[in-house]
Amino acid sequence: MTDVGHQADLRWRLWAVVPVIALIGVVFGTLASGNSIVGLVGHAPPPADEFSVRKVEFSPGEIRIHVTNPQREDLTLAQVTIDDAIVPFTADGESGSTTLERLRSTTVHVPFPWVENDPVKVGLISSSGIVTTHDVPAAVETEQPSLGGAAGLAVIGVLVGVLPVALGLAWLPSLRRAPPHWLAAFMALTAGLLTFLMFDALSEALELQAALPGALGGTGLVLLGVALSYLGLTFVALRLSGREGGRVKPLTGVGLATLVAIGIGLHNLGEGLAVGSSLALGELALGTFLIVGFMVHNVTEGLGIAAPMAEDGARTGPGRLVALALIAGAPAVLGAWIGGFLTNDLLAVLFFAIAAGAALQVVVEVGRFVVRRAPGGLTSGYALGGYLTGIVAMYATGLLVA
Amino acid sequence: MTRRQAVVGAAPVLIGLAPLANAALADSSPTADGMPGMDGVMAEHHAASLHASMMGDAVPAPDGPDLVLTPPAGYQPGPVRTYDVVAKEQEIEVAKGVFFPAWAYGLADGPATVPGPTIRVTEGQTLRVNFTNASRHPHTIHFHGIHPADMDGVFEIVEPGGRFVYEFPARPAGMHLYHCHATPLKKHIEKGLYGALIIDPKRPRPPAQEMVMVMNGFDTNGDAENEFYTVNGRAFYYARHPIRVRRDQTVRIYLANLTEFDLMNSFHLHGEFFRYYPTGTTDQFEYTDTVMLGQGQRGIVEIDFHNTGHFMFHAHVSEFTELGWMGFFDVVDR
Repeated sequence: MTDVGHQADLRWRLWAVVPVIALIGVVFGTLASGNSIVGLVGHAPPPADEFSVRKVEFSPGEIRIHVTNPQREDLTLAQVTIDDAIVPFTADGESGSTTLERLRSTTVHVPFPWVENDPVKVGLISSSGIVTTHDVPAAVETEQPSLGGAAGLAVIGVLVGVLPVALGLAWLPSLRRAPPHWLAAFMALTAGLLTFLMFDALSEALELQAALPGALGGTGLVLLGVALSYLGLTFVALRLSGREGGRVKPLTGVGLATLVAIGIGLHNLGEGLAVGSSLALGELALGTFLIVGFMVHNVTEGLGIAAPMAEDGARTGPGRLVALALIAGAPAVLGAWIGGFLTNDLLAVLFFAIAAGAALQVVVEVGRFVVRRAPGGLTSGYALGGYLTGIVAMYATGLLVA
Repeated sequence: MTRRQAVVGAAPVLIGLAPLANAALADSSPTADGMPGMDGVMAEHHAASLHASMMGDAVPAPDGPDLVLTPPAGYQPGPVRTYDVVAKEQEIEVAKGVFFPAWAYGLADGPATVPGPTIRVTEGQTLRVNFTNASRHPHTIHFHGIHPADMDGVFEIVEPGGRFVYEFPARPAGMHLYHCHATPLKKHIEKGLYGALIIDPKRPRPPAQEMVMVMNGFDTNGDAENEFYTVNGRAFYYARHPIRVRRDQTVRIYLANLTEFDLMNSFHLHGEFFRYYPTGTTDQFEYTDTVMLGQGQRGIVEIDFHNTGHFMFHAHVSEFTELGWMGFFDVVDR
């Protein structure tokens, strides 16, 4: 490259900074104009003045409300009601101020003789008289992190995650003896299961994000979670599959089973979260029912992990099987802990989005496998039938959880 | 905070006929013990905070100018009694920290308030009200009582900036009220355009410690339900600042209900009975401790306290009580 050409190159690189500087100027100019531009087309409506209630906690004689200001304008908490009765309260933070700036949070302490298992309606009234209500289905003392509680949640996580997956893996010897087209059907069934899980997790994530304050960008967060986990698992899949003559080998056998286990594991993290938080929120009956439902539901997930291994002729040691069961099931324990002790909707949205992205990636991977290996490829009756059966199986067992 | 501190903290309130503002309160005899829902283990644990929530400084009630509405003096000589009334838009603090964009009446030389200024006249005198509409909406004043049709505040809508003179002989004697009758009617009332109209009988009632109490509600979030209930416009005000009265003189309350959205409101007094004269038009009274009033109903309450101490008064509608319509008399000897 000539010297002149080099200089020109540098000049155009510097030019790239100009639009950024110009944008900054325009942004500041617009902000400085205040509302005069918006004023040309009408009046800005008053702020909604609604709070976002993140969590309500109960301890003997006290109710604690974790509250966030989701709007751009400052928001002042003037009065608190419990079951439509005004109650005195104090707020955390320096000087106990109840004026919250954008996205700022505080904890409101209300001395209150709440009644065990009664529904509680919390009302937060802004200085402009707007009421934000939050219903707690049943008041139960909030579990403080303790060894006993953690152990209980771990047992529940094992029941929901590890145990059923291990049971499902026990199908492996039977699958080994299945003819190739049947094996293809079971692989397709795995894809069906995971497709269902992806939809399930995605709808869960979208539903939870809808309840978040708009300023937190719920849909963007879901997309971020999905993209992160999809790309992350793609990377893991590349690492597991290795290379052959400069080309990426298609993923098979234990490698594919591991990927499926990771995908299911991330999904079980979300399921553990659901069980843990329903226990924490006092929906105890629902919690027990959820446990039973997820147990039956997750046996089919074990089957999904077993299928790719059956295709691989080599023997799989018991240590590896245990490891797979743990990869797929143990995150349920972690999820139960997080759900039981944190109850954070933002985190839950992210987890479910990650689960959805992971499931999607594994479906793609299993689909590729079926295309290459199955007699008749994707369009064979066995593959289609297996896929649909997988979805139906998840739907049917999912009714236990609904 | 201990119970004792809560009592001491109850700021004394000065009412016109009982200037006892700075008397020590610490020795107050039976305070309002044994409030509802305060027994059992929870109460043991949290009695102090709950008790404080009912009276004194811990009550989430607005401060501000003294809210004991002493009516204007009775009979004033002369054939005509004149008031200059202005309708304005006025932001008011209806509960501690909660501000409501009210439409309110005020005297020409004073602030606009909810309820509006008490208008008092003696039966047979001519009442003249020079009304100015200083708000952005059309308003009227519709008086309850007997008067000509063209003085009824229904047909003669007063546009923003407009004026109107209401003039008629005041009758019948009793406790009455006035309010805006522009449409939408519900809106103009719930926004705060109402007040008490006292027509004294020609032979004056016996001397008493007199005050006005207008029961009302405020819909602060526009859902056609009241978020707050008050007497005289500030939730829990009289719980934070009990009304100091003397035991040796009758307490006379000119009571009216202007609560919008709810079918009825009520007045209940603890530990005492009172004479209730419906509409204050006759000598007939009921001796009771609870009266129920629909919107627009009003009457005169006369209390002769037998005991000293703090006596609660509130709506015997528990919901209203806990949303602001509750207070105390502090009955003292002098």
